Amino acid sequence: MRTTPRTRAAPAAALLLLFPLVALLAPLLAHGPSGGPGGLRAPIPWDPGEPDLDARLRPPGADHWLGTDDLGRDVLARLVHGARVSTGVGLLAAALSIAVGALAGALAGVAGGATDRGVLFLVEVVQAFPPLVLVAAGAAFFPPAAATIAVLVAATSWPDSARLVRAQARRLVRAPFVDAARAGGASATRILFRHVLPGALAPALATAPYVLGAAVLTEAGLSFLGLGTPPPAPSWGRALADARESLGSAWWCAAAPAAALFLFVLSARRLGDALSGRGRG
Amino acid sequence: MLRALLRRALAALATLVGVLVVVFALLSAAPGDPAALALRDGARARPASPEAVAAFRAAYGLDRPAAVRLVSWVGRAARLDFGRSFRDGRPVAARIAETVPITLALNLAALLLALAAGVPLAAAAARRPGGAADRLSGLVADLFFSAPAFVTGTALLLVFGVRLGWTPVLAEPEEGLRGVALPIVTLGLAALAPVTRVVRACLLEALASPAALAAKARGEGEAAAVLRALRRSAVPLLALGASLVPQLVAGSVLVERLFAVPGTGQLLADSVFARDVPSVLGLTVVAGAAVVVASAVADGLSAVLDPRLAEGEREPGEAS
Repeated sequence: MRTTPRTRAAPAAALLLLFPLVALLAPLLAHGPSGGPGGLRAPIPWDPGEPDLDARLRPPGADHWLGTDDLGRDVLARLVHGARVSTGVGLLAAALSIAVGALAGALAGVAGGATDRGVLFLVEVVQAFPPLVLVAAGAAFFPPAAATIAVLVAATSWPDSARLVRAQARRLVRAPFVDAARAGGASATRILFRHVLPGALAPALATAPYVLGAAVLTEAGLSFLGLGTPPPAPSWGRALADARESLGSAWWCAAAPAAALFLFVLSARRLGDALSGRGRG
Repeated sequence: MLRALLRRALAALATLVGVLVVVFALLSAAPGDPAALALRDGARARPASPEAVAAFRAAYGLDRPAAVRLVSWVGRAARLDFGRSFRDGRPVAARIAETVPITLALNLAALLLALAAGVPLAAAAARRPGGAADRLSGLVADLFFSAPAFVTGTALLLVFGVRLGWTPVLAEPEEGLRGVALPIVTLGLAALAPVTRVVRACLLEALASPAALAAKARGEGEAAAVLRALRRSAVPLLALGASLVPQLVAGSVLVERLFAVPGTGQLLADSVFARDVPSVLGLTVVAGAAVVVASAVADGLSAVLDPRLAEGEREPGEAS
């Protein structure tokens, strides 16, 4: 079978888009009989946070499509609402990470000299930390809100885009059109933002799906450790950790968030492979 | 050569100091008083009295200016003195040293497993691109790059621990290999994807080189060709080894928690929970140091193997 990057990008992108879509529509898709915007009946008529102690650990069936967890909460409803934490943290972290990395990389590439060495040193230092370790350590000191986690994840993951943008900026800064701009009296700031950054951004943007996938994994790992967004917000990582206790009798509690996480990261990676023109393997 | 190695060692040292400063900055930038946090027992959730907080601050030297604390922190950390745990008052270094052998053994076994499975798979994949082995290696990459260690581990736990009952559901080192098989396999599978991918790419390149063609013309067999290609890939493989360290460290944190292994990763998670600031800082430094040292050693060995690298400009730890 012959595949081109384009034919592989389409299904991956479609699958990946599903997650923010579900996250956005979660309040409409799953809510209890009373709650919910507009008084509409939800396709998943269960509240993600409402415990029902008479319906604990029910297997998947007509009432609860993916079963219930150890507190009798609907697994599908929690899965849908959990997408909000994963996509929210993931997208925010990826955007921050690429913005900071691109800025630092372009600055290093354009300024050269001591600035360049300084940025490279910082890149080296930050890359010395396994992301999850630094983020977990940060979680000990900062209040565990979704935004905090996104900032911590971005703080550990910006060096990759910084390296990519720096390499590109170093080439661009020697291009004739930059010389022309400089001869025309453009300031250093103008050259950086107007002439170099737009052209140097492409390789970093192509890796955005990878950054997103890694951010989602780090957030899930943090939640799995119990250091992520605090309950009652449903999160996939925490759901997996909670499911460990009842793994023998209720595999569905673990399978649902595990599958969601896996598909999210897989589609992100596939899209990244297609965008950066990398074959599989 | 010697000068290049020395320069690399100095760069690693500078990075280590940078690691110490970053960890200290993390502590200083954090809102709230670590003393008040540490004294507020989770169970009682009642703020400590101001006198108790002041006494605590004095006992742990938290009442000095930040610059003084930074210098003394770097100086003491260089001697592996991370202070005493807020938890039990024992030296942090001793607490970490107790757990390191467990985590090291776990990761070494996992790495051996990943190599034992990954190198033959990659060799088979590289010999016939697009063949059955190559498709299997692609599946491995898709599966284990996208499934985090705690997802793979939970799946293994469900099948082998809960359903089949072959292994205990928590790690039990007293039971020998059976007791620790699941955490080792989980970590090994996480390392399998990068090992297979990098080894396959290296072998493909080396097998396509003119030297390989010449050897084939001389009548070199297939096994000998793969061995030669592996030897020619020593430098990127060293870089792979160094790049696996951060992944294994992060994986250990999750896997040790999943299987309740009393290792370094578990200690980190526990210390974060307990707001045990000195332990968290010490563990973060140890993790960072492990990565820096691994990367420097890989670069040094690469320079010895391929003297051209010592002269050229190559960014450390960069996978080819």
